[in-house]
Amino acid sequence: MKQPAYHLRANKAVDRLTLIDAIKRISALAANIGEYTYYGFGGPYLEDFRLMYEFYPEIRMISIEDRDEVYKRQQFHAPCRSSQLRLKKIEFKAFLDQYDGSGEKTIFWLDYLDLKYARFEEFMELLPKVSNGSIIKITLRCETGDYLGKDENGREKDVEFQNQFSYVLPHPTAKPAATFEGMAILLQDMIRIAAQKSLSSAMPSKFLPISSFRYADGAGMFSLTGMVCAREDVRKVKHAFGDWHFRNLNWGTPRVIDVPTLSTKERLHLQRRLPCERHAGRVLRRALGYLIEDDTKRTEGKLRQYADFHRYSPYFMKAIP
Amino acid sequence: MSKVQQTHYEPVDATPVKSFFVHMLTRDIRLEDAILDLLDNCVDGILRTKEHNASASTKKPYEGFWAEIEFKNDSFTISDNCGGIPWSLHDYAFRMGPRSDRPEGASGSIGVYGIGMKRAIFKMGKRCLISTQNSKDAYDVEIDPDWTNDESKWKIPVTPAMKRQPYDGTTVYISDLDPGVAKRFGEDAQAFQRDLETMVATQYVSIIEKGFRVKVNDELIKPRPIHLVFDKKASKGHGTIRPYIFKAQSDGVRIFLAVGFTRPIPSQDEVLQEQQETKYSTLDAGWTILCNDRAVVYCDRTELTGWGEAGVPRYHTQFIAISGIVEFQSDDPAKLPTTTTKRGVDASSQLYLQIKNKMRDGMGIFTSYTNKWKLRPEESKKQIEKGERLSFGELKAEVRHLPLKATKTSVPPGEQFRPNLPLPAKIVPSMRRISFTKRIYDVRKVSEYLFEDPEVDPSTVGEKCFDITFAEAAK
Repeated sequence: MKQPAYHLRANKAVDRLTLIDAIKRISALAANIGEYTYYGFGGPYLEDFRLMYEFYPEIRMISIEDRDEVYKRQQFHAPCRSSQLRLKKIEFKAFLDQYDGSGEKTIFWLDYLDLKYARFEEFMELLPKVSNGSIIKITLRCETGDYLGKDENGREKDVEFQNQFSYVLPHPTAKPAATFEGMAILLQDMIRIAAQKSLSSAMPSKFLPISSFRYADGAGMFSLTGMVCAREDVRKVKHAFGDWHFRNLNWGTPRVIDVPTLSTKERLHLQRRLPCERHAGRVLRRALGYLIEDDTKRTEGKLRQYADFHRYSPYFMKAIP
Repeated sequence: MSKVQQTHYEPVDATPVKSFFVHMLTRDIRLEDAILDLLDNCVDGILRTKEHNASASTKKPYEGFWAEIEFKNDSFTISDNCGGIPWSLHDYAFRMGPRSDRPEGASGSIGVYGIGMKRAIFKMGKRCLISTQNSKDAYDVEIDPDWTNDESKWKIPVTPAMKRQPYDGTTVYISDLDPGVAKRFGEDAQAFQRDLETMVATQYVSIIEKGFRVKVNDELIKPRPIHLVFDKKASKGHGTIRPYIFKAQSDGVRIFLAVGFTRPIPSQDEVLQEQQETKYSTLDAGWTILCNDRAVVYCDRTELTGWGEAGVPRYHTQFIAISGIVEFQSDDPAKLPTTTTKRGVDASSQLYLQIKNKMRDGMGIFTSYTNKWKLRPEESKKQIEKGERLSFGELKAEVRHLPLKATKTSVPPGEQFRPNLPLPAKIVPSMRRISFTKRIYDVRKVSEYLFEDPEVDPSTVGEKCFDITFAEAAK
């Protein structure tokens, strides 16, 4: 199934904004946001760069892209002057080989569209290279259907999965999960193992998770954000994110992002009831006076999602140029 | 003139220094291997039991026996129901190193040096309680940090067990962990568990397949067995896909060797993809060497097992379908070709060097088949897929029906089965293979254009382009 255009993915947009929100917490660690550099794979529209510039104009930004045509489109879509945003035409692996992050604090978003072992290798290579206080976000494809049946060579896809990811699987015979939630948990476990292998307890730094989400705007995705910090600062970092609504500081179950499609009129109508701490689904359903899904349970589930993420939900409007 | 003081030479003190055992010997072994040494003791315990001896000739001689490993950031425990340590063996079990008059080891054990358990304990921590029960014997042995530090203290206190267990077995509980070990058990717990489980699943593959149950932090370990393709229906004149087999006995060691295909040979595209994208389909390729059921080498693809030596090509992704197993069994573990750590093969052992000849001999049959068929993988795939994938145990049972022939010149003498693999017919000269390389981005674009799907196999995309152009050219 083809996904909606990159910049029109509602759940992805929420994920993006939670990163923006997480960055705010850096100041609670007595760090200066202006010292940070953002690295990402912005795609043709540089959507994450546009947001980053909007919220944190002081952050330097570097885009990494190796496809010729996408690179040209990025040049066209650059949201700011080149002094603040550098577009690098380079493959990420080649970039990593040269990269030395010891002199700067960074925010990396490894925003992959697929799931390959090479992604874990890149993640593991990056972790020891960044300075303490750096934020790393990794997004991976999380589709259970990818591992059903046999591949073009006639081999069982789940066995191929085991072979390919054996180095980071929690158990040698672990199979791809049958549910979206199970698959997201498995990927999170794999990232945790990759992080422990890359920054083992013998190293002075540690990778600490901050938040993790699963969502589907077409294909299922898993996205985890974490911070590299000195081992003695773990408590400080946990404290900085301790009261953040979307925190996942102990590798707990990833949170779902599944925001409903509401009209602007509906959103404005619900706005006066928000934020809503208790029974948000029921309160918002009653406020609407009708169901937006097949039944009450699903409607309330979707509206609970809206209550959680309403500040991050994008408005998509038709505009005639 | 001053008198030169004459030194009085006395016999020197060669008493062993305890810290050598506690701090030095432990450096020679990885933490994971130390834990596997404790697991080896469980298996050796099974071999001493009456229940095992009664079922030794069955398919599941380890059935009903288990070992459970649990690690936390402040302790390590391994417990089993594998028969316990009889009091008659205490001087061997707890002594640092083997006594020359030690009782005969159980038939089929792997321990020779009498250091595994102690080394594993000192590797992990300073305090240890060993509780064991074997028939009427039930006792606790406690090692504490004072014992470890006191050079004059060599006796370890033993007390009768506080209570009897419903089964005979041993529990080793280690605490006061070494700080580095505690970190691995705590902060690296998930990665460490993954590594340990993989080592158990591969090195105990044969023992687990024969019924032994091992849990690590409550997770039951499933083995990663190797299967070889065996086509039971021999087709006369066309060749059949079956493994090469060699059986022999030499100086009290029984040897069984099998090498063959685990899967169809890869296409050129797959080889390229494997190299570029590191897909790791190659994981099961190579040689596994079992010594008294323990895998001391697992899926090796180096010169150690004959790759790249004496006419055998170096391992290459092209050969990902080839896998082999050699089993050495002996009632006297000292005759097995293993290293002192029991985690590797003794590459200089005469027996191993002799068997390596047969390994290369068998492997050559399958590398040359691969080279002959590599341009026609689809046809080869049909031949290989006709066969069943047999586990090592199933294969050994099947070999009884094969016409093994006595080897005339090999050392040691034995019997072998050389498969008659299919040979490709002469390539029809009217056919030519076309192969070229294009940028991934461009291939995806053409794939999308032709099939409305960017992920179609590149060879299909190339073939379609040719077909379209050919149809136009033929108009």
